[in-house]
Amino acid sequence: MLARPPSHSPALGPGCAGPPLAEASSVSIQYPAQPTAQVPTCGAASFLVDHNAVNAPGRDPSQHTQMPYVTGSSVLALTFKDGVMLASDTLGSYGSTKRYKSFERIRKVNDRTVLGASGELSDFQYIMNLLDELTTDDFCEDDGGMLSPREIWSYLCRVLYNRRNKQDPLWNSLVIGGIEHGKPFLGTVGMIGTHYTDDHIATGFGNMLARPLFREKHSPDMSEADAEALIHEALKVCYYRDKQSINKFQLAKITEAGVSVSEPFALPTRWDYKHFENPSANAVGTW
Amino acid sequence: MFLTRSEYDRGVNTFSPEGRLFQVEYAIEAIKLGSTAIGVKTKTGTVLAVEKRVTSPLLEPTSVEKVAEVDEHIGVAMSGLTADARTLIDHARAETQSHRFTYNEPMPVESCTQAVCDLSLRFGEDDDDGGSGGGMSRPFGVALLVAGWDNGSAVLFHTDPSGTFYRCEAMAIGSGSEGAQTALKEGFRADLSLEEAEVLALSTLKQVMEEKVTSTNVDIASVAPSYHLYSPTEVQGVIGRL
Amino acid sequence: MTIIVPSGTGNVYAGSGTIQHPSWSPYDENGGTCVAVSGNDYCVVASSNRLSTGFSILTRDESKIIKMSHKCVIATANCQADRKTLQKTLQTRHIMYMHNHGKPMSVAAMAQLVSNTLYYKRFFPYYTYNLVCGLDEEGKGAVYTYDPVGSYERTGYSCEGTGKDLIQPVLDNQLKASSPLVLPAENWMTALPMDDAVDLVKDAFVSAGERDIYTGDVVELLIITKDGVRTEHLDLKKD
Repeated sequence: MLARPPSHSPALGPGCAGPPLAEASSVSIQYPAQPTAQVPTCGAASFLVDHNAVNAPGRDPSQHTQMPYVTGSSVLALTFKDGVMLASDTLGSYGSTKRYKSFERIRKVNDRTVLGASGELSDFQYIMNLLDELTTDDFCEDDGGMLSPREIWSYLCRVLYNRRNKQDPLWNSLVIGGIEHGKPFLGTVGMIGTHYTDDHIATGFGNMLARPLFREKHSPDMSEADAEALIHEALKVCYYRDKQSINKFQLAKITEAGVSVSEPFALPTRWDYKHFENPSANAVGTW
Repeated sequence: MFLTRSEYDRGVNTFSPEGRLFQVEYAIEAIKLGSTAIGVKTKTGTVLAVEKRVTSPLLEPTSVEKVAEVDEHIGVAMSGLTADARTLIDHARAETQSHRFTYNEPMPVESCTQAVCDLSLRFGEDDDDGGSGGGMSRPFGVALLVAGWDNGSAVLFHTDPSGTFYRCEAMAIGSGSEGAQTALKEGFRADLSLEEAEVLALSTLKQVMEEKVTSTNVDIASVAPSYHLYSPTEVQGVIGRL
Repeated sequence: MTIIVPSGTGNVYAGSGTIQHPSWSPYDENGGTCVAVSGNDYCVVASSNRLSTGFSILTRDESKIIKMSHKCVIATANCQADRKTLQKTLQTRHIMYMHNHGKPMSVAAMAQLVSNTLYYKRFFPYYTYNLVCGLDEEGKGAVYTYDPVGSYERTGYSCEGTGKDLIQPVLDNQLKASSPLVLPAENWMTALPMDDAVDLVKDAFVSAGERDIYTGDVVELLIITKDGVRTEHLDLKKD
């Protein structure tokens, strides 16, 4: 039995509809795919701009985002005793191409808030511009006041929801981490405005790969070192299984002391596990 | 009367140095030229009685409307420039119907009165501020007695051109208001029955009217708990009980 | 999902099968179940706190019920983004109502407002299933049930959301209230005592949690009586 495709793209996160991994459609039965070296017969087709769709006769060039171009994969985040931790890789994919390998997908918003993004990276840059304006306004007030993480989260929820109402979504899953009143804050919002807070959050594939680990091992009162070890482990699992990821990560920490976003780093990996060498050895018919 | 009256009485947005808005005060004066209207509240309902000035035998008395229904549970009596009252009543009718549409319940009488007073105040607004009342050149020259029924009890409000409103037990407005107020103070009791209130309102009106009270030169309405405008026969009945 | 079938010459991708574009829907089915049972002097409202999408759980503890006043709450299932927007809008409207009229909205007033609010988005609806619940002006339990575009009716009990198919028949059977179709009209309010109703609602959720993957984690129960709103939580299976 074919699984009913979920209403979101596993690559993009909550609320993002996308191609199913392997689904027979009447069209593909009618025109069976011709396997070539370039085109896989299963899995999502490689990204390609379809000029027929974009320049269909009698149609104005599309003014709305109909699909993402340069995308980022999972963002992982969890709270710990003294604050919040966010991590992601630094890849900007152009379809299946590793196009930008040093794209910082986790940014500081102000002295107590950090924003991480997966999905369309140009939309993320636009969102950062919006937030920078707000942060600049706070700076000009010069009273030491600034938006709290929850306020930034609420604001972004409205921005993304209003854009989806215009049928012109910002194609992102965002993670907002920070500290307010001495307590960690961790929230997320998807491209259609779905939003929630939790002790641990992961976008995209991370929701399937990293969150089971978080659910097993995370506790809100864990130490910074334990939290860092857990998030490293989760990053590694995502890297092993998520095709659209690279071994170049950034880790952000937000505590009462302030915000720090680390320099990019790599994690030690090994590829000589028996199941990596021969993944289908013990599971006939699997992928 | 206005010893310091000066050029401060031209604009509706200019206070005099003594802190008065003369145009509003003049509008209140206009009401004292109007026919008398009286409202008396009881536990079971509110009675409104108004004098109709039928200035000529050639005039059709029923065309003089000084008391009007706003909604099933709200009626108003007016005094002053009754043409201005039409605008206020239209507004009140729209507000009460809008409230029924949105909340499926009768509008609270105080909220309705507040809505009317909000409109009364818009004389001060600019033409181009987009408000529906913008561009008004002067205050409304009319006072209203708003009688209503709110969640099982009767209420009576008095509004004036300044946009102020008061909750009253009994109230008189118009040319005979001063005399009528005195009479009401003497005659009013909290435990009046509706029938006694009819008599109090009409006898008070009779005292301040120049003409003899007949079933054609007064209107009586009650909100108890629904609005009802008395027929000439019913008015005659009340006259008979005076 | 757009599937473009290559044809003719000049196609940049000729002969290669299908191109599948990522596409999107403004709606997401976030699951969850809401139940309300009203009696002569009480109203029990409950909803599961799991938030899902597809086969994933997003979070295990997000309330679907908003308390408007001591006598009125709203429970909302399905698209979470729409639910939050709707509930925020209604809360703002309720606060403005209290400022303007000096009293909280009655359940009946809220019911009409919810209907209008939903209908104003008739052509781009809030994809939500709502229950407006509380005590009416006489102190009797009230449940109003809606479709996403604002059709509504008052009922004695109701269930909305992904667990509806599992729970509604149980309520129909257990509450033994007479049908609203019976003529002459009979009282359709259940005679069940409040504690029994609370137990019934809890049982219903435990049962739905067995088969509905979108119902689980925890149930939040709001019990509305003349003394106010009491909240209870009941853990469900986390699978």
